[in-house]
Amino acid sequence: MNDDAVIALTGVKKTFRDFWLRPTVNAVDGLDLTVRRGEVFGLLGPNGSGKSTTIKMILGLLAPTSGNVSLFGMSPRSVASRAKLGYLPELSYLHPFLTARETIMYYAGLCGLERSVAKTRTRELLEMVKMQDVSNRAVGGFSKGMARRVALASALVGKPELLVLDEPTSGLDPVSTKEVKTLVKALARNGMTVLITSHLLADAEDICDRVMILNHGKSVAEGRVSDLGESLEDFFLAKVGDVDDFVLADFLS
Amino acid sequence: MRRGRAIVCATVLEILGEPLVLLVTVASVAIAALAPAMHYHQFGDPSRMARDAGLSALLLGGAATAFSGTVRTFRREMETGTAQAALAHSVSRTAFFLWKFAGCAVSYSLFAAIMSLVSLIVVRGAEIGGAIAAEKGDVARLWGPSLAFAVAVAVVPLVASAALNRFARFRFVLVANVISLVVAAIGAMYDFDPALAGRLVPAFMLAASPALVIVAAAAAFAVRFKANAASSLVAIVAACMLPLLGNYCLSDALADGGRVPWMYIVAALAALLPAIVAPLAVGVAFINGQDVQ
Repeated sequence: MNDDAVIALTGVKKTFRDFWLRPTVNAVDGLDLTVRRGEVFGLLGPNGSGKSTTIKMILGLLAPTSGNVSLFGMSPRSVASRAKLGYLPELSYLHPFLTARETIMYYAGLCGLERSVAKTRTRELLEMVKMQDVSNRAVGGFSKGMARRVALASALVGKPELLVLDEPTSGLDPVSTKEVKTLVKALARNGMTVLITSHLLADAEDICDRVMILNHGKSVAEGRVSDLGESLEDFFLAKVGDVDDFVLADFLS
Repeated sequence: MRRGRAIVCATVLEILGEPLVLLVTVASVAIAALAPAMHYHQFGDPSRMARDAGLSALLLGGAATAFSGTVRTFRREMETGTAQAALAHSVSRTAFFLWKFAGCAVSYSLFAAIMSLVSLIVVRGAEIGGAIAAEKGDVARLWGPSLAFAVAVAVVPLVASAALNRFARFRFVLVANVISLVVAAIGAMYDFDPALAGRLVPAFMLAASPALVIVAAAAAFAVRFKANAASSLVAIVAACMLPLLGNYCLSDALADGGRVPWMYIVAALAALLPAIVAPLAVGVAFINGQDVQ
């Protein structure tokens, strides 16, 4: 494995099975992937292409059926490998009964931060995501965008070296989307490694150094955004869009 | 330890914030306080009805709180994805499961503490009232204080919590539970009788402890199965625990100033330990052996 690699997947397959252990779907099929320290890596693909499954294997939440997953050179199931990790899930999974402040304090506790440090960092993050005025309200009553901001602050509270963002701009208005993109760029400038998935190709084009396009669980393209020679959207549609067009045309006829 | 504290606190906040838990607590307190007010003077042993009502409410209300609180909090973690978000941090699955179980056990212990304190007060009142009734024959006057206390311990927390929620945005259900404990503790400390507490507390421990098996079984099954299946499996475990109700029958040992020997209590709790550890071991195996989606 490359010494610089923060994440390394080699020949990873994930097959989901039913109650009788019969295979139902091959979500990821022989994936090789390397994310190097300090880069912003985009994992792109249509719905059901295996992006979230891949991320969950990287986080140790799903066990690969075969192949090897390495996080900071360790198994993602080891607690030590996840100590330097921040994670923003696709849906903002928050305890609805906790306030915004308590939510960030909860995740600070999970990161093992001392109470005084956690309090300071929570205050700073609430200001950063502009939620200080509603910090004592339960997150169960928040809009999707507000919950997203709290979830982002929670992902950053442990000052992670690797930030995994699953659809980070989902549910955000254009101004907030731009702020998140600016934030990701600033974090990357400070040396943080970022793995991001997004359906919004323009967003990925703006912030990613390298991208991989997944389709049906397989990598169909990988490379630097600057080397594409065309817009990411055109490139993406050329790789995965034709099948959908065919199906749609079929249906319309 | 900080990770454990975070998980325990969040779990306690969640369970004590459940309206159902508050409903069970208020109903149990009302049963324990009101039932003896109607009958305690008519059985020769003046405080018997008070003891039995307290132990019954503790046993049934405790089983309901332990079962519903644990299944709901674990299923919610697994189904809404909060477990996923927590396990993406540097928390092992085993630690997450065990700390969450500890949070459920703490929540149940709060209920058991409230019920034990309320029963202490009611039994004390019954003993004093029984003596007065035997001497003066004025039975009706005994109902007043018991009813007043029952109303206070059931209603004051609700009213105070509603006021705190209205004017200071405190959590209504959680604060009502905590105020119930405080009111019960203040009541128990007033005219505290150490000898009576020494007799009753061991019996309450015997009646309360089997519910920890329900908490452990509910945690283990809820981490693996959906709510309905988990509930059915916990019901089977609860049915297997029926012989433990013998502990409850030991409350007869408290009649006429009697007490349950401490050695028996230690032996009973030691015998209970494997019944708690076994489902926890199953739960640890479940959470480590499955994908968390």
